[in-house]
Amino acid sequence: MKPKYKQVKRMTTFMRINHWVVAICMVAAVITGLYIGHPYYQTYIADPAVDKYVMAWNRWIHFMVAIIFDVSSIVIAYLYFFSRFEKPYKKLIPTPANIKEFFEVLLNLVTLNRRKKFDSTHSDSFNTVFFLVFHLMLVWMLLTGLQLYVHGLASGLSSIGNWWPWMLHLVTDWTVPVSGWLIGTAAPTASIMDVRISHHLTMWLIITWVLFHVYYQVWRTVFWEEGDISIVVGGSKFVKEDQA
Amino acid sequence: MADRIEGVKKLFTSKSARIDTNRGDAHYETLFQACHARIEELKTQTPREDRLKIDDLLEDQGVSRRDFMKWASAVTGMLMLPSSFTPLVADAALLMNRAPVIWIELSDCAGNTEAILRSDGPKIDEILLDIISLEFNETIMSASGHQAEKQLEDAMHTFKDKYLLFVEGAIPMGIDGNYGTIGAHAETFYDHLMRISKHAAAVVAVGSCATFGGVPAAAPNPTQAVGVMDILKGKPLINIPACPANPANMVGVIIHYILTGQIPELDSLLRPKFAFGYRIHDNCERRAHFDAGEFVEEWGDEGAKNNFCLYKVGCKGPMTFNNCSIVRYNEGVNWPIGVGRGCIGCSEPDFWDKYAYERPMADANIKAPTGGVEKTVDEFGLGLLTAAGIGIGIHAAASLAAGKKEESGES
Repeated sequence: MKPKYKQVKRMTTFMRINHWVVAICMVAAVITGLYIGHPYYQTYIADPAVDKYVMAWNRWIHFMVAIIFDVSSIVIAYLYFFSRFEKPYKKLIPTPANIKEFFEVLLNLVTLNRRKKFDSTHSDSFNTVFFLVFHLMLVWMLLTGLQLYVHGLASGLSSIGNWWPWMLHLVTDWTVPVSGWLIGTAAPTASIMDVRISHHLTMWLIITWVLFHVYYQVWRTVFWEEGDISIVVGGSKFVKEDQA
Repeated sequence: MADRIEGVKKLFTSKSARIDTNRGDAHYETLFQACHARIEELKTQTPREDRLKIDDLLEDQGVSRRDFMKWASAVTGMLMLPSSFTPLVADAALLMNRAPVIWIELSDCAGNTEAILRSDGPKIDEILLDIISLEFNETIMSASGHQAEKQLEDAMHTFKDKYLLFVEGAIPMGIDGNYGTIGAHAETFYDHLMRISKHAAAVVAVGSCATFGGVPAAAPNPTQAVGVMDILKGKPLINIPACPANPANMVGVIIHYILTGQIPELDSLLRPKFAFGYRIHDNCERRAHFDAGEFVEEWGDEGAKNNFCLYKVGCKGPMTFNNCSIVRYNEGVNWPIGVGRGCIGCSEPDFWDKYAYERPMADANIKAPTGGVEKTVDEFGLGLLTAAGIGIGIHAAASLAAGKKEESGES
């Protein structure tokens, strides 16, 4: 008999929109960020001066997507605890059940689906931890990025009031010694270059994360045969009736 | 609750680069009264050495009173004070010979001293540094040997707890500090610094070496050189980094000290915010080319001829806090980016390793490729040897076990 499949809702409309907004922002941030780090294409010297705003446009786009990213992160942080759909923090508490599930999902991956002893209907502990790593890296990018940004607001002035640079200094100045520690600079002489190096390195870590994320979602779709890849488009996946 | 909020605020803001250029009329009114009272009091004191009259000296060098007042208003601006302070700053400059200064040199090239001495023609900043009550300075004093040491002892005794100690050069800490010794008794630089700083009113570290270790502390730092801030505790310390430190900033710190009796507001790296509160980038004359994406691609190309931005040939202006782009060097004659060279971040910690390469950070090998030829070869070799040893061990143990099995006729 053909197995019957049941549709399971996994992502709300908002979560899916957020996913794609973040994905587009990330691609834009990497493209423009690499340009800011090293301007890899040239402005035509023969262009009329009025057209030239190349670095400034790159920085504008970079900061714009960063701000969208930042606001999205705040919403996601809220949903971690107060989502009415699924509260991710529940999968992060190291309870015996969560720890067991974490390693079962990991074993499922390394044994290439030869061992599958967990419920793949719902969001699992392994993926939630994996996403937490991503969110922590994003928060780090947010804070180091704003630290690098705030020095451009010279004299502590900004178009939306003096509270903004004041607040940015307040919440991001600590990233200087922490970056110094991460880079291996002796504590008292940590400088903004350490923040810059850390911001740059974390970009590569995030790109690595994205590679694995895409690979792993495709892998699940292929090996589990439950249509996982459509979660992020249609919001649901399908599981065999006897399992659900 | 209020002081708790204040405490949290202090925790997060006291060490930031944030600068407050306008603190309100009430603040400046109080400050003005305090500074005025202090200047009047200083005027009543007689300087120890009064051979050099500042007015005569300025006149000899062809600086008119009007030029001097123009300079005073510029310094007032640099110190981020309202223009009403200009007469006080001018007075403070004339009273600079009331500040006894001891200047010592450690692991360095005397470049900061040279920057003051060898300017193209002494300008007001340099002239003023000539007339400070300089009690001891190895480079320019005529005494030597025991005579010089006696001079130092005299100065330390006479101005106990009152002198400003200027330190130029890093302190080597390797082999118990014996990489650098000074004087007839071969006192290590570390002991020298500790002894002289003990009774200083404040210590001013001048140049990149004294502040953050500079070139002597660059990787692999064989002498384990460090800056003054790494080892000196419990003393007011001001860092004036850059290679060489700008005489304008030294004068600014001394004038601030004479004017207010206090050290200026400092950032997290103990640099005065009036000079190091902005990045080079924020006030760079080539900034428009940066925004336009017009970069010098290689030395001497069309972009270089058109004064394009030097970011792609390694300018570190966006990460470097200093006022070069405003005050420049040698009284505004020129500065590195002005000559088409790009900033090497010489006023930042570890600049030799982290800033001074001729490409953007994204392209740089912060350390030598692979971390150094011999170093990685040695480490790789040791690792390979260990792996081979473990492999041989396992193989040998397995062979022994197998051999025993064979003997017992199992295979």
